Amino acid sequence: MSILLIAEHNNQTLNPTTLSAVTAASQIGGDITLLVAGSNCQAVSDEAAKVAGVSKVLLADAPAYAHSLAENLSLLVKELASDYSHVLAPAGTTAKDFMPRVAALLDVGQVSEIIAVESADTFKRPIYAGNAIATVRSADAIKVITVRASAFDKAVAEGGSASIEPLSQVCEAGTSAFVGEEMVKSERPELTAARVIVSGGRGMGNGDNFALLEKVADKLGAAVGASRAAVDAGFVSNDMQVGQTGKIVAPELYIAVGISGAIQHLAGMKESKVIVAINKDEEAPIFQVADYGLVADLFQVLPELAEKL
Amino acid sequence: MKILVSVKRVIDYNAKVRVKADNSDVDLANVKMALNPFCEIAVEEAIRLKEAGVASEVVVVSIGPKTVQEQLRTALALGADRAIQIDTEQMPEPLNVAKLLAKVVEAEQPGLVILGKQSIDSDNNQTGQMLAALTGRPQGTFASAVKVEGDKAVVTREVDGGLRTVELALPAIVTTDLRLNEPRYAKLPDIMKAKKKPLEVKTPTDLGVELKQHIELLKVEAPAARQAGIKVDSVDALVDKLKNEAKVI
Amino acid sequence: MSEYQHPYKDVTFALRELVGFDQLCEQAGLDEVNGELAEAILEEAGKFGAEVLAPLNQIGDREGATLGEQGVQETAGFAEAYQAFVESGWPTLTFPGQFGGQALPNVLGTAVNEVWQSANLSYSLCPLLTQGATEAILHHASDELKAIWLPKMVSGEWTGTMNLTEPGAGSDLAAITTRAVPEGDHYLITGQKIFITWGDHQMTPNTVHLVLARLPDAPAGVKGISLFIVPKFLLDEQGEPSVRNDAHCVSLEHKLGIHASPTCVMSFGDNGGAVGYLVGEPHQGLAYMFTMMNHARQAVGLQGLGISERSYQQAVAYARERIQGTRRDGSKIAIIEFPDVRRMLMQMRASIEAMRGLALLASAEADRAKAAGDEAQARQHNERVELFTPIVKGWLTEMSQEITYLGVQVHGGMGFIEETGSAQHYRDARILTIYEGTTGIQALDLVGRKILRNQGVAINSLLDEIDDFTRQLASDPEMALLSERLSKALEYGRQATRWLLETGGQTDWAPGAVSVPFMMLMGYLCGAWVSCRMAQSASAQIAASEGDIEFLQAKVITARFFCEHLLPRTSGLLETILNGSESVIALPESQF
Repeated sequence: MSILLIAEHNNQTLNPTTLSAVTAASQIGGDITLLVAGSNCQAVSDEAAKVAGVSKVLLADAPAYAHSLAENLSLLVKELASDYSHVLAPAGTTAKDFMPRVAALLDVGQVSEIIAVESADTFKRPIYAGNAIATVRSADAIKVITVRASAFDKAVAEGGSASIEPLSQVCEAGTSAFVGEEMVKSERPELTAARVIVSGGRGMGNGDNFALLEKVADKLGAAVGASRAAVDAGFVSNDMQVGQTGKIVAPELYIAVGISGAIQHLAGMKESKVIVAINKDEEAPIFQVADYGLVADLFQVLPELAEKL
Repeated sequence: MKILVSVKRVIDYNAKVRVKADNSDVDLANVKMALNPFCEIAVEEAIRLKEAGVASEVVVVSIGPKTVQEQLRTALALGADRAIQIDTEQMPEPLNVAKLLAKVVEAEQPGLVILGKQSIDSDNNQTGQMLAALTGRPQGTFASAVKVEGDKAVVTREVDGGLRTVELALPAIVTTDLRLNEPRYAKLPDIMKAKKKPLEVKTPTDLGVELKQHIELLKVEAPAARQAGIKVDSVDALVDKLKNEAKVI
Repeated sequence: MSEYQHPYKDVTFALRELVGFDQLCEQAGLDEVNGELAEAILEEAGKFGAEVLAPLNQIGDREGATLGEQGVQETAGFAEAYQAFVESGWPTLTFPGQFGGQALPNVLGTAVNEVWQSANLSYSLCPLLTQGATEAILHHASDELKAIWLPKMVSGEWTGTMNLTEPGAGSDLAAITTRAVPEGDHYLITGQKIFITWGDHQMTPNTVHLVLARLPDAPAGVKGISLFIVPKFLLDEQGEPSVRNDAHCVSLEHKLGIHASPTCVMSFGDNGGAVGYLVGEPHQGLAYMFTMMNHARQAVGLQGLGISERSYQQAVAYARERIQGTRRDGSKIAIIEFPDVRRMLMQMRASIEAMRGLALLASAEADRAKAAGDEAQARQHNERVELFTPIVKGWLTEMSQEITYLGVQVHGGMGFIEETGSAQHYRDARILTIYEGTTGIQALDLVGRKILRNQGVAINSLLDEIDDFTRQLASDPEMALLSERLSKALEYGRQATRWLLETGGQTDWAPGAVSVPFMMLMGYLCGAWVSCRMAQSASAQIAASEGDIEFLQAKVITARFFCEHLLPRTSGLLETILNGSESVIALPESQF
């Protein structure tokens, strides 16, 4: 078996999701070849060559690949794919864009966003927005797969010494062009769209103390929320309220600080992937739903947490 | 310009997902079905382009058993002009769908094909891209804005970390993201008119497409339930758990 | 608070299996209309109700309508929702095509109205009253008035109100004192009306009040009341609202529930007289109102269903989520696993399905009357409308009190806390047994006008029909148990009716004193009848391996629960009725 893994990068550095995909690839087994396709992306291929477990790096450096246009990238990968049993990529928006095109050009199916490798042809993937997990088997000669990075550990970024092989051919479809891009500044995200939320309750004491939460939130790129008790007490405005009568949220990480965990609050956040509760009352119901609980004084914990993140 | 919109019948997004007892699949027997939300956005965008005078006709197509006609009627009530059902017993996998759609594209010659970026059941996010590959057309996936300028489409795409804008030579394929538009509600008179709009039924054989299985579904399980939480004794321990166990920071 | 979802499956099943919607449309010559279209319409209505109206329900309760300089200000968000409602064409559903309506069957209108009432009871009153006012103009006004007022009322661009009650004239409309004095081509109206639902708001450019008032030469009592159109804004030559009429909301009532529905004190003619236009003939106002009454009363009965469904959905969601108690193995128990919680949920559900069946069946009788081939048939169906109306209004709204009570009860202490939203349904439901004729009025109507006046012909025809069905049910071994229960209750119904016709009707006090128990008995009996009919269809489908098996089995089980746990109440009610009125009136008035 041999695996072609298409690296995700920004022409300067390797995106860490690629390292997770390398781990998925090594679980499948076989030689791992990393394709770095971009423009002026020599530095990325150097970085890729050092990743533990990678045996070869292919470098396709041409203006046509500068913006990862799916029309061009898919033609390149299709040309290379016949030498491999698996074609993998981390499931960012780049791979989601070009990988199905590769699959169609190869006349094979694609297995999207795998979260576990069962064998070389069998994988687990979430369906129905993660409400069910499917185990699927690919019957195709070449298996085209995208990898959900958060489900795999990152491969070690150092220690490898793969050879770098520049590719000469340039694939350009000529049907699409990059116009521009607008990347989001690191302002605090919206509550309902945030990946991480840090929420404060009545235990915060007053509105000024929410500054302590904001420091933690800034470190995590998190949104700041509040319980109804904190809103009712006038600490913060009610657009920050999380709960039955406020916003219903389901971030990857929800940190509840000084929140006791009234049912109405739980109803608004219990679908969060990971819940952390920080409260000095050991009996607070919030601990019943928390994955990680810390019984402590939030005024000591928050500055420490902000510092250590 | 003609716009082709492909729509899928899926579980209603409000409905609870239950896995069958024999783990063969998700149980859809007792579940309300609806138009896939991303497909609804695709229909809306096509209708807006028609209302703006960019498009002259909106054709909707759906693949599956007779029940998908309900979703086609919904699309017709929203403002599509005519519908095509490609009659299959099961919902075929994305590559097969793309092949069927490619044949429809060949026959209809639309200037733009708009699809939802993914269906909320199988969450594959493949069909639009595959259709683009099979028809050799450019694609604007995960669109949050679509403008047609002459023989080009300018599509703003939602990508990791922000927005990216591309220019596509028409004909092109667009897949929709959530923020592209807010779909309208069907009007009562339009629901009634939808019954009279043409709905054509074709089969894969009519289109000369043989459906093949590429991906086999072996098992479906419910996700692991939330495990009983643990208490940590320090901030260090907490940060460690979040980094190395939960991997959320 | 849980989100509302339209019980699409149950409604479409009842329409198909109980009402026979397809045949009904065929008989009515509605070629374009069938079950498939009805389902598409209900699905879209369900979506609109759930996504647009339901989210405004709780805020409407907390931040109800207020009265300011400009008149009544409705709750924020309602105007946008109403605008979308009109744009979607929902108000036009049952009105004739001539005035921009879609001419769909009354029963489909009823099924759709359930959505609005469940999603947001306060909101739903606005289109409901508009529909009532529109019907009044449609049936009784001159062609000229129709041409002026109907198109924009049918479309919903203008809303309508019904102005009947006065401070001294509630159930007794004979006491109305509002005056109408002729002046040129119109009348000047002066007087005060109370309890005017959605009497003012800022959602539309005009509001059309229908006002009962007396002409100068009017005879005393109910035979001297006329009906007038009194718009908020008079129209200019283009028919657009221009000059403000002398009709104002002067105060808003502070109420137990339906806070977002402004209940206005309306003052007409504070500055010389509000311009009004006579509808139909002078002195016929009350007769005109009576022709509207069946529809309005059934609509309020339907509100009982709507609020019950909402309360039930919320209770189920809570019972599933609320964890109380631990099993031996350490796993946690949701309260839905407790038998008593189950009993409450079953009671709510079984009642609701019976109520829905009865509401739809009664509503379809109006369509059947309209579609009838000959006069005799039409009369029969109209008689059924008359008979069902007080039962639908009285029984459904009384049931809604118990159901919303149980909805709170399932929540335990949290139900008493406003935040869960369950308490709101309980409070909102409370008006339903009062307005549009109290339960007592409904029961008197049933016993007096609908039974004693025709010597029981109409009720006996209904009881015979239930009898026939019960026999037929008995022949199906699967349904034997249901049939047995139903036939027992039917016998109680017969006994109560006989007593009323032979004994009770002969004494002064008896009919009034036991009329409510009598009406409730008939309600439970009719509820069981429709539940069993649906169970029979479900059972037949199961036998034929058709349809959604879990849903069909649930229909059979729900009917069984109704027959075993609710229908036995008929026995107690019968006993009460047979005991008569002696102890009701024995105590002299001075003892109170």
